[in-house]
Amino acid sequence: MSTVEQTPPTPGSGGPPSAPAPREHGSGAVTGVAWTVLPYVASVVLAFLVGGLLIQAMGYSAVDALEAVLTSSFDSRFGMVETLHKWVPIVLCAYAFAIPLATGKFNIGAEGQLLLGATGGAAIGITFSDLPAILLLPAMLVAGVLAGALWAGIAAVLLVRFRVNEVLSTVLLNFVSFRLIDWVATSVWPDAGAGHPATTPVGDGARLPLIGEAPGLHSGVLLVLALAVFIAVGMRFTPTGFEMRAVGDNPRASLINGVKTSRLAGAGLVIGGGAAGLAGAIDVAGVQGRMLEGMQSNFLILGIIVGLMARGSMLALPFIAFGIAVLEFGAGTMQLVASVPVEMVLVIEALILLFLLLSDIVRNRLRGAA
Amino acid sequence: MTTAPRLEMTEVVKTFGPVRALDAVSLQVGAREVHGLLGGNGAGKTTLMNVLFGLYRADSGAVRIDGREVTITSPRDAIELGVGMVHQTFLQVDTYTVVENVVLGTTLEGGSHGAGLSAARARIADISERFGLHVDPDAVMEELPVGIRQRVEIIKALYRGASVLILDEPTTNLTPQEVDALFTSLRTMVAEGMSVILITHKIRETLAVCDKMTVMRDGARVQTLDRAETDADHLAAIMVGESHGTYQAPTVTEAVALGTAPQGTVVGDVPETTFEPGVSVRGMTVRNDHDVELISGFDLEVGKGEIVGFAGVAGNGQVELAEALAGVRPLQSGSITIDDLVLSDRATAQWLDAGVAYVPEDRHRDGILPTSGITENLLLGSHRSARVRKNGLIDWRAARQRAQEAIEKFAIRADSPATRAGDLSGGNIQRVILARAFAHRPRLLVLHNPTRGLDIGSTRFVYEQIREVTAAGCSVVVISEDLDEVIAIADRVIALYQGSHAGEWRSDRVDPYEIGRRMTGLGTSVGGAA
Repeated sequence: MSTVEQTPPTPGSGGPPSAPAPREHGSGAVTGVAWTVLPYVASVVLAFLVGGLLIQAMGYSAVDALEAVLTSSFDSRFGMVETLHKWVPIVLCAYAFAIPLATGKFNIGAEGQLLLGATGGAAIGITFSDLPAILLLPAMLVAGVLAGALWAGIAAVLLVRFRVNEVLSTVLLNFVSFRLIDWVATSVWPDAGAGHPATTPVGDGARLPLIGEAPGLHSGVLLVLALAVFIAVGMRFTPTGFEMRAVGDNPRASLINGVKTSRLAGAGLVIGGGAAGLAGAIDVAGVQGRMLEGMQSNFLILGIIVGLMARGSMLALPFIAFGIAVLEFGAGTMQLVASVPVEMVLVIEALILLFLLLSDIVRNRLRGAA
Repeated sequence: MTTAPRLEMTEVVKTFGPVRALDAVSLQVGAREVHGLLGGNGAGKTTLMNVLFGLYRADSGAVRIDGREVTITSPRDAIELGVGMVHQTFLQVDTYTVVENVVLGTTLEGGSHGAGLSAARARIADISERFGLHVDPDAVMEELPVGIRQRVEIIKALYRGASVLILDEPTTNLTPQEVDALFTSLRTMVAEGMSVILITHKIRETLAVCDKMTVMRDGARVQTLDRAETDADHLAAIMVGESHGTYQAPTVTEAVALGTAPQGTVVGDVPETTFEPGVSVRGMTVRNDHDVELISGFDLEVGKGEIVGFAGVAGNGQVELAEALAGVRPLQSGSITIDDLVLSDRATAQWLDAGVAYVPEDRHRDGILPTSGITENLLLGSHRSARVRKNGLIDWRAARQRAQEAIEKFAIRADSPATRAGDLSGGNIQRVILARAFAHRPRLLVLHNPTRGLDIGSTRFVYEQIREVTAAGCSVVVISEDLDEVIAIADRVIALYQGSHAGEWRSDRVDPYEIGRRMTGLGTSVGGAA
């Protein structure tokens, strides 16, 4: 009957419970920004330092390798276009992770959602390949969003209705999606001549228009850019965006103050799935021209890395995603120039994230000592 | 000055970052002495005792026990030196019996089964007999009420051979009867040569049981007094401090906060008034989190401007009652109406719109967004209303403006509206929650333990705010485990026992002992049910 009083862990508040609130020190906008930016700079520098040492230890030239990683995006038009083409799925998969995370839920299913989006888009693009672009292209992108959202929606329903942990369901749905697209690529619309499980090409009306001289930049980049602005504004200024952040901060307090928390958590997953689905559809319409196995690349993990690095800021997220896209494109050049395996870049990215997480501890220590 | 005192702490300093929590505090406790450690919230009482019990390490200062200097770096050291502590929150294994809980973490001579356990059982029975700490040694923990669980904690300390026993705010959840029994046990212990340190912020308690008292304020010792040379007013003056010039007799609110409110007599100046009907609860049935029907067929009327207080021991349906009245917990049946507007079966957001404001018991868990700023915290709940929006989007500039005004009006101690709520002290968090509640222009205000853990200034502030909304015609329900509080601020007091009315009194005709009996499910003999 009687309950023992339990002092719940107070999220975000450090220090002993009986201590008075820590006095804010040296406030002011400038120091505030410095405290935010400094850890990022320090983490990147440290990660490259450690990465460089590793490369050197493996017997390659660290200077050549890192120079290739950092500069190849910027020294040719091709490099910039390819980097931006990589940026699109990275930033969208980062949204797929970060938007549910804002409500406190972990979507680890971006690759399945991306593949479903690609499949949905390709299905429209192939089936109605004779339609003009003005009809086919929007229909295809919408189909991609819906397919991704629907895939994540399975996890959302399981979560809201049956309290199935979303980490589990989203991860497992990835595996289901692999089998599903394998079937689509080998049995439904197989392209026998492709030499790799892939669908037949989509119609010309399903290709995103290219911008500028060859190599052209596909217009999906602009679409995602607009979307990034929309999301940043939406999370900050709409009541729903506010509710999402509130639920992520403290679901109990949000519930008590009239927020329908479980519905919102489900909605976050669905929206995230839609973002990943769009990534798949754009990749089909802008880059691949078809759906093919393996097109999910390592966007799931990159999305998670970017989403974690953004620390809930939808404003910072596209910029961080761009930085990661630069590294990802540079990885290929690095392998060519310095024969360092591309995986080294993933190591560096992981190190950046690790140092960033460590910086929280360091910063708290420093604040405590100040 | 010939023999050394049992315990001597000298010039103990403890800092947390920039905060000096203990500023060279000294304390002497003799054998056969109940020593009260008195002070408001944040005065440093618990911190000082946590240093003694080895939970915190002092930056400097010395501890002597029986004249010998000792170093205590962990509770294990403290226990070996005969120091025991009973915390506000108990660490007990719910599914174990009393005996198992007591022996947990000790070595049993004669093996952990059979002989060893029965020897331990005999010792526990002996301790509970000697000190009047009546407990069934074979009862399973989760079936015991808070008062008994506390006895188990005390037995635990005594079983480990404590000769100095620290009790941290032990009376918070106890009925008056249980408090009396506890104090009798404490007197027995000191009569046998032990020392007891009682951490409290209630003057009445210290006067009832202590031989000496040390008053602390802002991390420093103010004064140590003998029981014989002081009285309630004197202690209150020392505790509150005389920084505001000459000392004035404590107001009713201060008297409640300090526990010096006279009992069983007219408190304050509440005249016999009748109230216009406001909130009406009919046949309300509510389940707890385990789907057990805890409140059934509950009726309640709260007039406009009336304060109804619920007194009861924690776990008798307070949380369920508060949440149901606030529209957070669904009703299984029955209805709640405000001015003929039926609210039951509506979404929480609509209750908020209708002017139902809720100040939850657990401020951190239920009240705030810890990593968000004060601005966001104040916006929560009204973020969908048209008045916070411009062109459909949230107007953050105006929200910051309102937060700044609230910080000034509610005297929230914070640098700016961007200060994270989780970084605020308990009192300031409560001010933020109140500011948010009052922004809804409440017609029904539900408060659960609104002043628990607050210092006198914040407590007084809370009472003032409650008075202000009742003057504007708001119906108020106060659910509190602090009986003094309920009696002092409510117009009507209802005892809550196992989710139902167990008696009702006008606040100027109450007998706290009678309320105590009713809220523990005893006696329906005399009662002044209105």
